[in-house]
Amino acid sequence: MAGPLANYRFWAYAGLAVLLLALPLVGDEFWLNRVAKYLCYGMLGAAVALTWGYAGVLNLGQGLFFGIGAYAMAMGLKLKSYTSLQQGSDQPVPDFMLWNAQPGAPTELCCITPGSWLWLPFQWQWTGVIVAVVLPVLLAGIMGRIIFGQRISGVFVSIITLALVLLVRLVVVDAQPLTNGFNGLTDLGWLTVAGHEFDPYAKGTYYLVAVALILVLGLSRILVATRAGTILQATRDSDTRALYLGYDVPAYQTFFFAVSAGIAGLAGMLYVIVSEFASPSFLELSFSITMVVWAAVGGRGSILGAAVGAILINMIEARVSETEALVEAWKAIIGLLFVVTVIYLPKGLSGLAHDGIARLRMRRPALRLKEEAGQ
Amino acid sequence: MTAALMLDGLAVDFSGFRAVDGVSMAVAQGELRVLLGANGAGKTTLMDLISGKTRATEGKVLVQGRDVTGLREHRIARAGVGRKFQIPSVFSGLTLRQNLEVAQSRRPSVWSNLRFALGMSEKARLAEVLELIGLEAEAGREAGLLSHGQTQWLELGMLMIQDASVILLDEPTAGMTQGETAKTAEIINRLKGRHTLLVVEHDMAFVRDIAERITVLHLGRVLAEGSVAFIENHPEVKAAYLGKQGIA
Repeated sequence: MAGPLANYRFWAYAGLAVLLLALPLVGDEFWLNRVAKYLCYGMLGAAVALTWGYAGVLNLGQGLFFGIGAYAMAMGLKLKSYTSLQQGSDQPVPDFMLWNAQPGAPTELCCITPGSWLWLPFQWQWTGVIVAVVLPVLLAGIMGRIIFGQRISGVFVSIITLALVLLVRLVVVDAQPLTNGFNGLTDLGWLTVAGHEFDPYAKGTYYLVAVALILVLGLSRILVATRAGTILQATRDSDTRALYLGYDVPAYQTFFFAVSAGIAGLAGMLYVIVSEFASPSFLELSFSITMVVWAAVGGRGSILGAAVGAILINMIEARVSETEALVEAWKAIIGLLFVVTVIYLPKGLSGLAHDGIARLRMRRPALRLKEEAGQ
Repeated sequence: MTAALMLDGLAVDFSGFRAVDGVSMAVAQGELRVLLGANGAGKTTLMDLISGKTRATEGKVLVQGRDVTGLREHRIARAGVGRKFQIPSVFSGLTLRQNLEVAQSRRPSVWSNLRFALGMSEKARLAEVLELIGLEAEAGREAGLLSHGQTQWLELGMLMIQDASVILLDEPTAGMTQGETAKTAEIINRLKGRHTLLVVEHDMAFVRDIAERITVLHLGRVLAEGSVAFIENHPEVKAAYLGKQGIA
């Protein structure tokens, strides 16, 4: 393999990193807050690419992990909210619990509503941060062991994950006294680290998300470049062949499924820090499918491509939604974009970029020879 | 010396239908054994039983003296059984070199594969296998772009580098041109000695090129076993499988 500096992929990642870190120089706080949300979506794109592109597993319920991350963080931040301290208790109690409590219930987190004790650990904000990543990983680990262990593959995995996210959405909406149901968790406090408060509209918060995205992209790219990553792609191409070479195929699929879930959980957690709410809409089917569209347009075979696809589509969407006539048409445009990409650009924008670079090299044989010598 | 592959009364019952019905045989170290038999004689099912794709209802499979009966497929593979399927299967999205790297990995777990470089001896072995299957020039190409014959050779190369002590080949020359068949025979002859092979094949010219001993299956049972000449003149084999014309 060529050294990293001779590889245009390395420069693509480095370029994006520099661009993201430089954005605060050109935009105001409100715009940066919006971009930070898109960067969280970028993580989701990367998470989808990791399973769909590299493992050949199309998860139609990625929103489940995003939702868990979002709710876990939101629970932690809800208890830091000013209103939670104003409910007549020494400890913070979420306002909606009071509205949902039975008459005469004690205004204590332990027992104000059935199951409200589940919130107790979230009085420590780091519980939210840790649960946001660890729970998706554990859940994905268990799901993977069961689904892949049974040699279930293809469209059936998609159906199972799809059903699961809808199921969890139902539970979350239904458990109103615990989750504020349909309304979601709003009016949140700020994450505080070593005295620094992460104001969603401050540059510090943007940097937090940007650095997290850069790390996620870089580490994921390194992960798929390891031998384990190559073996994962091998299982995608022929799981039987991999099995008969002695690999425990379900273990590989489960591992990367769990990594992808962890990334989605992290994205949900950061999204809540930036947007100050968590809502059951994260668990809607349309959201999970939108993620797949981002990855498809950006290029599911490329972690960077899928992330850039997610960010670009959302930036365009934001621009378009400022023109009133286009607001309703946007959904049709996105659908059309997806269809056109799948038919004409199966590798997405990143595939287009790869082909373009390959063609440039063909035209410049001297460059190609140089690179081959470096290998 | 223990046989490389030993089958003892192997049988499988598909709800009343016994596709393999009490097969016992021993294949010596480094031997190349050809399995003959008409369609439905149980050849492929026998390979399924050995490699763990199908579970035996009776009998035992011993690889290098170790009982592997009932183990899961990847465990049997780790015990030293490599298998090539009738329809060639390689990793089409990976380069040829990556295909061989995947086949070469000695450590099966995810954690032990979170690393990059190949060792020097691994690199040397990879180059050697590329040369053996005659695909050095294609090493950087995507496997999905190879021709049918090249795909088969790549799969053979993967079995070589996997270092399976027992290799099962299911119709390795299916769909090949004469030239490709000759090259395949050459590759398989080089495998003899270092690996123990069990080959299902119909092409008798090819069988004569590679075979030492032949086992003939008929209706899930061993009908006869012996040298090419012995089998060609065996009256029951003629009656059951070859018809009156003898081997073509």
